[in-house]
Amino acid sequence: MRLLTELLGTPTEADLGVKGTTYQSQLPELRLKEKKSRSSLLLSIQETSSIMGSVAESQRTLYPYVTGSSVVAIKYKDGILMAADMGGSYGSTLRYKSIERLKPIGKHSLLGASGEISDFQEILRYLDELILYDNMWDDGNSLGPKEVHNYLTRVMYNRRNKFNPLWNSLVLGGVKNGQKYLGMVNMIGINFEDNHVATGLGNHLARPILRDEWNENLTFEEGVKLLEKCMRVLLYRDRSAVNKIQISKITEEGATVYPPFSLKTYWEFSAFRNPAAGAAGSW
Amino acid sequence: MTKQHANWSPYDNNGGSCVAIAGADYCVIAADTRMSTGYNILTREYSKISKLSIVHSALQMHDKCVMASSGFQADVKALQKNLSARHLIYQHQHNKQMSCPAMAQLLSNTLYYKRFFPYYSFNVLGGLDNEGKGCVFTYDAVGSYERVGYSSQGSGSTLIMPFLDNQLKSPSPLLLPAQDAVTPLSESEAVDLVKTVFASATERDIYTGDKLEIVILNASGIRREYLELRKD
Amino acid sequence: MSKSTVDLPPKGGFSFDLCRRNDMLEKKGLKPQSFLKTGTTIVGLIFQDGVILGADTRATEGPIVADKNCEKIHYMAPNIYCCGAGTAADTEAVTVEAFENEKFVLYCRHGQLTAAITSLPYRSRIKSCYSTDTSEETSFQAEFHNFQLNYQGYVQAALVLGGVDVTGPHLHTIYPHGSTDSLPFATMGSGSLAAMSLFESKYKEGLTRDEGIKLVVEAICAGIFNDLGSGSNVDVCVITKGHKDYLRNHLLPNPRTYVNPNGFTFPKKTEVLLTKITPLKEKVEVIEGGDAMEE
Repeated sequence: MRLLTELLGTPTEADLGVKGTTYQSQLPELRLKEKKSRSSLLLSIQETSSIMGSVAESQRTLYPYVTGSSVVAIKYKDGILMAADMGGSYGSTLRYKSIERLKPIGKHSLLGASGEISDFQEILRYLDELILYDNMWDDGNSLGPKEVHNYLTRVMYNRRNKFNPLWNSLVLGGVKNGQKYLGMVNMIGINFEDNHVATGLGNHLARPILRDEWNENLTFEEGVKLLEKCMRVLLYRDRSAVNKIQISKITEEGATVYPPFSLKTYWEFSAFRNPAAGAAGSW
Repeated sequence: MTKQHANWSPYDNNGGSCVAIAGADYCVIAADTRMSTGYNILTREYSKISKLSIVHSALQMHDKCVMASSGFQADVKALQKNLSARHLIYQHQHNKQMSCPAMAQLLSNTLYYKRFFPYYSFNVLGGLDNEGKGCVFTYDAVGSYERVGYSSQGSGSTLIMPFLDNQLKSPSPLLLPAQDAVTPLSESEAVDLVKTVFASATERDIYTGDKLEIVILNASGIRREYLELRKD
Repeated sequence: MSKSTVDLPPKGGFSFDLCRRNDMLEKKGLKPQSFLKTGTTIVGLIFQDGVILGADTRATEGPIVADKNCEKIHYMAPNIYCCGAGTAADTEAVTVEAFENEKFVLYCRHGQLTAAITSLPYRSRIKSCYSTDTSEETSFQAEFHNFQLNYQGYVQAALVLGGVDVTGPHLHTIYPHGSTDSLPFATMGSGSLAAMSLFESKYKEGLTRDEGIKLVVEAICAGIFNDLGSGSNVDVCVITKGHKDYLRNHLLPNPRTYVNPNGFTFPKKTEVLLTKITPLKEKVEVIEGGDAMEE
């Protein structure tokens, strides 16, 4: 019974690098794969000389290149509403300004993504294939949001098991047979459903508002207003957010992605106009 | 571009506590429903308790065991799916449900199978054994397990376990002849105790809270109860 | 330490003698000691008549709640209060030190809050409060620059400081690594984002006292319910010209949810073997008078 704490504690890569013999043996293979695959993720590995090699010797870094910011989504009376801005950041540079991060999937689902944009586009290719194969059955049935979400959770978890994650947080919403569905999954496979979800900084800044103000019977107009409120706070407080926002909805009738718009902002507080007034001697 | 992200880790801890208590003819399994990461609450309504059985339509029998798990949610989910699938195959092969001790062994084997890239999940398995007595099995993340009278796992276990030890002191496993590990409490007393330990753990463990889900197994079947916990 | 400290005896500040040893031990795998941290939500805003400060009351030590009802709004002067987030001992020490600082008290007495704040030993001496880009080059600077490295960011405290002086209400934030801000509304601590989301969507200028308190309470509640580092109750402090209201435990939104109706019994395990009392005098001879102890 003692094993767990001694062995694991909170597991870190270092633990696994040191103790995971199977993992060590995967390393050369991983590197080969990485060379062949797209360049969005960088995996640099210095091979350890021995299985018990020191932590410093075994180093692997993975990080995203072009990233999208938060996605915020809610259930409302007739379905699901989702919002995201259109910025694509290259580190702290705002590199792209018209990236669509909300996409309809099949007949009943809507996908929103934050994180690495190229990985998101790869996921869209997977889903295209999934929907195509499903269509080819021609059995009058089509995958609903629950199925698509489940598929995504397995893809994401599987990639983390290979130590080659898809660097995204995905939000999946949809309606099928009168059932609303809203869930999310992140890059290591954590997944859940809720009445409202938000990724990235949205988890810190938007969900407090949603927990206060969301209710089941929001109309479309109220829902959009609530999302705009969240996106405005994100615009103020998330440095990688941009004021070019898309909202989309999905109902029993299907998905609609609305054209981008910008939010009205307010900067006229007198303390902002003369910030030094309250602190003589500073500037 | 300079590196801006912390090293990627394949693990996370989503927190939460689990408790199971075995009685003479019942078993109580409970867990809170908070799922968190870092200082954030991801959702207030995530059930950590899995029935492990996809009920085969031809077999109308009630469940014999349930599992409560905390730790890394994605691993927990993978583990639950794995066990459910294995259980379904078992039902097709043997035309009956797996007994609780058999499921306990299967869980241990499944965990040890991933000894060098473990499922980061902390489980308690509770149910009724072949004689209808309550049984609880407690695990570590790599499959070491033991049959006990009561157990607690997860983020609040360090707060809960000493209180259970005080209230339900089990006979020493060194005693001969071997004594039953089941607790002397009645079913309703055990449920009250579970509610108390969770209300208390919620006071002091930041990862435990929101709602308590209690599953009670006895001769007449399976029943669920809920209790609101602090949401801060 | 640099040579200048040898030439000039340092005034105040920490001794860094053990820092290199600690770094070495840490590299060799020693876990640094954990301190009581107030994973916190603290906020402040300016309303039409003054300043309102707010704080939650949870203090944590890792995942464990160490204090369910601690005080995070500290007294600094009759017209100035200060909310602290970070290592509990540091926030306490910093606020006490400021209070003991002559200049600070002097300025407070003359009702010059801004000057008082800029004279804070914390702000000036600690590198964490003296980043060159935002702090002022006043006459204090010559004095301060001897001290500015004395704490070197080893003090981990983030503050929201508010008060009312002859020039009106002021609200300042002091970050753990150096900069200061002067703002109409501010949040700090692990729940700062949750609280800020409410301020950003609801704050406007010229709030009444009741509206102001309501917004502060909502912001603190956002921290309490969305941030695991914050919790329990809401403390509020309203400062207006020549008056203040410290509303300790203004709201108690987290009562215990379940108490066992039957209670619990805990068996008595330690048996009393002896109750005889032996007076000390019988065994020890006390000599009255004798040599007086040296002072």
